[in-house]
Amino acid sequence: MIPVQCGRGGWVTSRSMVARAVAIVSVGVMLAMAGCSSKKPAPLPGENPGGGQIGETGVGKTTSSLEDWKKGLIPGQGPLSDIHFAYNEYTIQEQDGPVLKSNASWLQAHPQTRVQVEGHCDERGSEEYNIALGAKRAQAAKDYLVTLGISGSRISTISYGKELPLCTEHDESCWSQNRRDHFAVSD
Amino acid sequence: MKRPFNACAVLCAIACALAAGQAAAQPARGLAPGPITITIAGPGSQLSAIAVSGLKNLGGDDDHRVGSEFVGTLRRDLELSGYFRIIDPHAYIEDPQSSGFELGQFNFADWRSINADFLVKGSVAATGAGVKLTAFLYDVAQQRRMMGKNFTGDAGDVERMARRFADAILQAATGQRGPFDSKLAFVSTRGGRFKEIYTQSIDGQDLFKLTDNPTINLFPSFDRSTRYVLYLSYKSMEPALYLADLKQQREARLDSPHGRVIGGTISPDGEQIVAAIERGGSTNLYLITREGAEIRQLTDNNGINVSPAISPDGATLAFTSDRSGTPQIYLTSLSGGAPKRLTYSGDYNTTPAFSPKGDKLAYQSRNNGRFDIWTIPVGGGDPVQVTDGNGSNEYPSWSPDGRYLAFSSTRGHSSRIYIVMVDNRKIISALTEGNGNDSCPVWSGWLGD
Repeated sequence: MIPVQCGRGGWVTSRSMVARAVAIVSVGVMLAMAGCSSKKPAPLPGENPGGGQIGETGVGKTTSSLEDWKKGLIPGQGPLSDIHFAYNEYTIQEQDGPVLKSNASWLQAHPQTRVQVEGHCDERGSEEYNIALGAKRAQAAKDYLVTLGISGSRISTISYGKELPLCTEHDESCWSQNRRDHFAVSD
Repeated sequence: MKRPFNACAVLCAIACALAAGQAAAQPARGLAPGPITITIAGPGSQLSAIAVSGLKNLGGDDDHRVGSEFVGTLRRDLELSGYFRIIDPHAYIEDPQSSGFELGQFNFADWRSINADFLVKGSVAATGAGVKLTAFLYDVAQQRRMMGKNFTGDAGDVERMARRFADAILQAATGQRGPFDSKLAFVSTRGGRFKEIYTQSIDGQDLFKLTDNPTINLFPSFDRSTRYVLYLSYKSMEPALYLADLKQQREARLDSPHGRVIGGTISPDGEQIVAAIERGGSTNLYLITREGAEIRQLTDNNGINVSPAISPDGATLAFTSDRSGTPQIYLTSLSGGAPKRLTYSGDYNTTPAFSPKGDKLAYQSRNNGRFDIWTIPVGGGDPVQVTDGNGSNEYPSWSPDGRYLAFSSTRGHSSRIYIVMVDNRKIISALTEGNGNDSCPVWSGWLGD
């Protein structure tokens, strides 16, 4: 993969020829997309194809919800606790103030660690809007931790929208669990 | 090549029927003047009866495999059009192998007696990998040919010949080309718990897994030529936009200096992309070139601005914003300017899609916790509900002829992609089947020649 600097806005596009096996049937892909070939083209490859997966985490470290989900695991609760949100809201709720203070205390006691705040949503609403809403939720927790004295450089954010629910029933008891920020700690 | 028969008369008859406000199909019969025409029919109104006869084998198709492939695909497309009822082939009196397929070589009485309004007959000759196929559409009551086509290609092209003939039948019978020579892209969990992007024909064949990374892939969009597919993927463990060039077999990841890319769409001409960029919790829209060079920022506030859709002429952007307090749809010029709010009914309107003419938007609007598909004139006016409140109905995408929408719905056991006829709100059929849930459909433009 060769990073290429493109354009006045500084956008970066990384281009890659797809795997050789795919290139051989490239005409097949084009024609199959045009609906005039029965050849079976290969799918687009993943960013990190192949290779065995080795699970390795430092003490006190938690993997991201997506990494857990890829392995078929339920996201584990690490040293930091989740917080929850009202429907379509991203303001920190009063009862989660102590949770965030406790999380901040742990982070202060472990200054070598970093944390990624994950914003999650319930299943209602569109996928794209929920990714944006989850980003708001993650940012709200980051801002709160910063006001408690945690350096913003130790905190990153990511949104998974409604893609990684903890609970899959279609009712409020389930939705309220899914509207959450999860805190994944790394060294 | 046979010329379409009396196409002008067909068009004129339709225009007159529409002007007279006729709601139901009134096929001309007996001594009625003019050819058969079909007007848009209301729900429950009578469909036109069409017989699709087997193809006469002129050599090389002794097992009728090629002929059956053509006829099967054609029948499915005609059913999906919502205009036709296929007469059960068991009722057909005539043997296609012993009778002719050109005008004067068969007996219309055999088809009139089973109440066929329309008849398709044709022939096939297969030599090696090559197939030569001829098909005609006949008006049974008037005992005349309405349209005919010759097709040549290889054995893998037969289904597509059928789709093009279905599109031509709709042209002859309704005055407007059909939409079936096209593709559907959608997101599905059919391979397991991961959301991957698939493509298939509208009639459910040629299923192809476009992405293969066990993470989350969302929001496919095509340019008009179906050369490019833009999509969002978490395959690098964070959300990013990827532009796949299906012709060159290359893929580019588009990253922004402004923040994290969480959504986007490619313009119909394939030259530009509107990307949703998140920074500090706020998501704004940016116009960039296909190569990733920034042209301009389109929205600038502390809220959420997502679900971009570009008009067919490339001039206007529709998108969803929460700037009023709830998700609503706005319009703005891609050359800059203040957005104008379009939707006011309901407290959650999103996923806008421009009609091929650019005069309407389809979108999803929430009521009682579920979404329905609506349309609204781009120039302003009352929204019109398209789907029926059954399940949650989301992600409308227009057919290239503008008559149909594909959308996802949870009305069945799982989420599936469905086709609805926009003007009469008839939900014709599911377009996908299999395990898992299907979502985020996008209907391509017509495929090239």
